[in-house]
Amino acid sequence: MAYALWIVLTGALVASSCGMIGCYLILRKMAMLGDAISHAILPGIVLAFLFSHQLETAYVLTGASLVGLLSTVLIQALHRRGVQSDAAIGVTFTSLFALGVVLVSHYADQVHLDLQHVLYGEIAYVPWDMVTLAGVTMPKAIWTMGTVFLITLIVIGLFYKELKLTSFDPQLAVTLGIPVSLIHYLLMALVSLNTVAAFESVGSILVVAMLVVPGATAYLLTNRLGGMLALSVAIGTAAAALGYALAAIWDVSIAGAMATVSGVLFLLAFLFSPRHGCITLRWARQMFQRSSHS
Amino acid sequence: MCVDPHLYKATQSDIQKLENADIIFYNGLNLEGKLSDIFVRMGAKKPTVAVTETIPPEKLREPGEFDGHYDPHVWFDISLWTYAVERVRDALMELDPEHAETYRQNAAAYMKQLQELDGYAKEQIAQIPERSRVLVTAHDAFGYFGQAYGMEVMGLQGISTDAEYGVKDVQNLVNTLVERQIKAVFIESSVSPKAIEAVVEGAKEKGHDVVIGGELFSDALGAAGTPEGTYIGMFRYNIDTIVNALK
Amino acid sequence: MTRKAAADAERTVNNLESILPLVLDKNFQWVMMACVLLGISSGMIGCFALLKKYSLLGDTIAHAALPGIALAFMLTGTKSLDIFLIGAAIAGLLSATCIRLITYHTRIKQDTALAIVLSVFFGFGTVLLTKIAQSGSGNQAGLDAFLFGKAASLVSSDVWVMAIGTVILILLAGIFFKELKLLAFDPDFGRGIGWPMHILEGLLMLMLVLSVIIGLQAVGVVLMSALLIIPAAAARYWTEKLHVMLVIAAVFGAFSGFVGTIASTLAPRMPTGPLIVLTAAGLFAVSAFFAPRRGWVTQWIRKFRWRRAFGNKRPVLNEKAASQD
Repeated sequence: MAYALWIVLTGALVASSCGMIGCYLILRKMAMLGDAISHAILPGIVLAFLFSHQLETAYVLTGASLVGLLSTVLIQALHRRGVQSDAAIGVTFTSLFALGVVLVSHYADQVHLDLQHVLYGEIAYVPWDMVTLAGVTMPKAIWTMGTVFLITLIVIGLFYKELKLTSFDPQLAVTLGIPVSLIHYLLMALVSLNTVAAFESVGSILVVAMLVVPGATAYLLTNRLGGMLALSVAIGTAAAALGYALAAIWDVSIAGAMATVSGVLFLLAFLFSPRHGCITLRWARQMFQRSSHS
Repeated sequence: MCVDPHLYKATQSDIQKLENADIIFYNGLNLEGKLSDIFVRMGAKKPTVAVTETIPPEKLREPGEFDGHYDPHVWFDISLWTYAVERVRDALMELDPEHAETYRQNAAAYMKQLQELDGYAKEQIAQIPERSRVLVTAHDAFGYFGQAYGMEVMGLQGISTDAEYGVKDVQNLVNTLVERQIKAVFIESSVSPKAIEAVVEGAKEKGHDVVIGGELFSDALGAAGTPEGTYIGMFRYNIDTIVNALK
Repeated sequence: MTRKAAADAERTVNNLESILPLVLDKNFQWVMMACVLLGISSGMIGCFALLKKYSLLGDTIAHAALPGIALAFMLTGTKSLDIFLIGAAIAGLLSATCIRLITYHTRIKQDTALAIVLSVFFGFGTVLLTKIAQSGSGNQAGLDAFLFGKAASLVSSDVWVMAIGTVILILLAGIFFKELKLLAFDPDFGRGIGWPMHILEGLLMLMLVLSVIIGLQAVGVVLMSALLIIPAAAARYWTEKLHVMLVIAAVFGAFSGFVGTIASTLAPRMPTGPLIVLTAAGLFAVSAFFAPRRGWVTQWIRKFRWRRAFGNKRPVLNEKAASQD
C-alpha cells in the first residue's frame, strides 16, 4: 500500500510542478519545449561521460542540466532575433541532438552506454530508492520533486505579476519597465530544473505529458491564470492517481497510463467544457435555436 | 523477461515479482542501466546478485580508452557464463542452506549440459573453413562469442545503443565482405534488418552475392515454451544458424 | 610538356583517382541521391509547415506512431517493416486529425496541440508495449526503434521512393501554388472568396504526414525533423516571397544532404544523418547572421551606420512637432 502511495505522490508532484510551469509554456507558445529538452540534453550526457569516464548520476545530471539550460538560452536568443518560436525550438534541439550522436559514435561507441537510460528514471522504481534526511525516510524522488515543486511554487508566487504580464502582453510589460528578458530566463531556468529533475526521477514520457496536457485542459476550463494554475495541479494529480490505478489493474506502464489518462481528461474538457467544449457549444446552439423558434 | 534490456519498461506485475522475490539475479556490467542501481540499493533489503561479479576482469572485454566499462554480453561465452551459474548456485546455497545439496546437484547437472554445449559449439564451428570464420551482424553483441569460438566478429554498429554508423562504415564492411568472399551475414531478432540489407545490396553491386544466413538471438531469448526460449536452446539455434550458413 | 605541367597533370589524376572510387561506390551513390532528394522535398514542404506553425510535426508523428506500430504488431504477430509502416501511417493520420480538431475547435494553438498529441499518443503506445511484453511472445524487442531507419543504410529502392515523392511534391506545389500560398498567408481571405480552405489544409496535412512517415522510415526521427525545420527556417532569412523561399529551402536541403553524406565518407564512425543535420544548422547560422536585410550582422551594421549618421536621435515625423519639444 505504501508502495502505491509513493508512486502516486511522486506522480502528483511531477504533475503539479510541471503542470504549473507548463501553463506559462502554453501561453508563450513554447509547449514543445519539454520534448525538445529531452532530446537536446544528449550532448550534455555524452560530454559528462567523456570528461569523467563515469556514468555516475551526479556527472550525468550536471551535464544534462547545463546543456538543458544552454538550449533554452539558445532558443530564446533565436526567438528574440525573429525566428518563430517553434522553429527556434526545432533548430536548437535537432542540432544539439545530432551533435550528441556524432560525439558518441566517434568517441564512445565501444562502451555499453545507454545514455537515455543512464539519465531517465522509471516511476515504478521510485519506492526502492529511499533516502533518509533529518530522520525522515522517503523515496529520493519525493525529496527531489518535492523540493522542485516548492521552488517552482515560490518563484511563481514571487514573480506572479511579472510572469503573468510577460506571458499575455510582453509589449506592455516592456513599457512598464519589467525586465522581460530576465523573467523569460527565470522561467527557462525553472523549466530546465523541472524537466531534468523529473527526467531523472520518472523518465521522459510522464514529464512531457504533464508539462502540457493538464495545463491545456485547464485552459479549456477557465479564463483566469490563477484558475488555470490551480486547475492544472488538480487535473495533473487526478491523472496521476487514476493512471496508477489503471496501470495496476491492467498491468501496464505506469507513466504511460498516467499520460493516457491525462489525455482522456483533456478529451472530456474538449467535449464538455462549460465554456469551450464542442458538445456543450453544440447543445447550447441547439437550445438557443429551439428557444428562438418557439 | 524476454525484452531487449535496453528498452525494458517496468510494469506492476514485474514490480510485484521483484518485491516478493527472495533473491534477485541480474546480469550486471551495466547491462540494465539504471535498473542495476536499483538492484544494488535493494541489496540492503534482500540479496541481489550480479551474476557476472565473479568473472575475473582480465577475461572481460574492455574498450581501450574507458577502463571499467566492460562489454556486458558475456553470456555468449559458455566458459564465462559458467561463472554465472556457479555464482547463482552459491547465492542460492547461502540463502537456503537446507537445500544446498539440491542446488549443488542441479548446478552440476546444468554445467555438464553447458560443457556439452560448449563442445558442440567448438565441433560445429570447426566445420567452417578457417578463412570463412567471420561473423557479421548489425551490432557488436557477439564479441565474447568470437573470442571463445575462434570467429572474427564484425558489427556495423558499436556496443553503445546511441552510436550510429556512417556511410564509410557501410562501405568498409561491404569491401571486407567482397575481399574475403564471406558467404553470409546475419540479422538479429532485436535490430532492424535495414542496415544488413544495405550491406548485402552494396556487396551485390560489387559482384559478390552475400546471403542473409538467418536471424540470430542477441539481446533476447525466443518465445517461452519454444526450444529457443531457453539459454541452451537459444545458443544451439545460433550455432546451427551460423554454421549452416558459413560452411 | 614542361615539368610543372606534368606535375599538375599527375596531381589531378591522383585526385581523380581518390575521388573516383568514392563516386563509383554504390552505397555512397544511394545515400547521397536519397538524402539530396529528401533534402529537396523536406525543404519545400517544410516551408509550408513553418508558415502554418507545424514545423515540429516530424517529432510529433515520430512519437505518435508508436501505438500504431504496437497495434500492428499485436494484430499480426510479425515484425515486418511494411506492416509497421502501415500502422505508423494510420496512427500518423489519426494524430494529424486530432491536431486539426484541437486547433480548429478550441483556442489552443498549434504547438500545444502538437505537444498534447505527441505525449498522449506516445504514452498510450508505451501502455501497449508493456501489454505486449506481458504476453511473452518474445519477439517484440525494440519495437519502437525498429521502424526508424538510418541515413547510411539507404539503398536503391529508397532512392526511387524519394525521387517519386519529390516529383509528386513539386508537381502539387506547382499546380496548387496560388491556393497553397493563400492557405499559408491568409486563409481567412481564401475562405471569404469561397475556396475550400478546409479541404486544402487537410490535403496539406496529408502530404505532410506522408512525407514525414516516409522520411522517418528512411532516415529516422532527428534527421527527418531537422530537414523539415532547418532549411525552411534558414530560407526565411533570405526572402519574403513564397516561391523564392521554396527554391532556397530546397537548395539548402539538397546541399545539406550532399555535404553531410560526403563528410560521412571521410572517416569511419561519422554518422550520416547527424552530419547532415549539422550541415543544415551551419547553413542556418550563416543565413541568420549574414542574410541581406534580415541577417543579424546586416542589421547590426545598418544600426551602426544609422547611429553614426544621426547620433542617438530618433526619426521625426515633421519639423513642427520637433520644434514643439
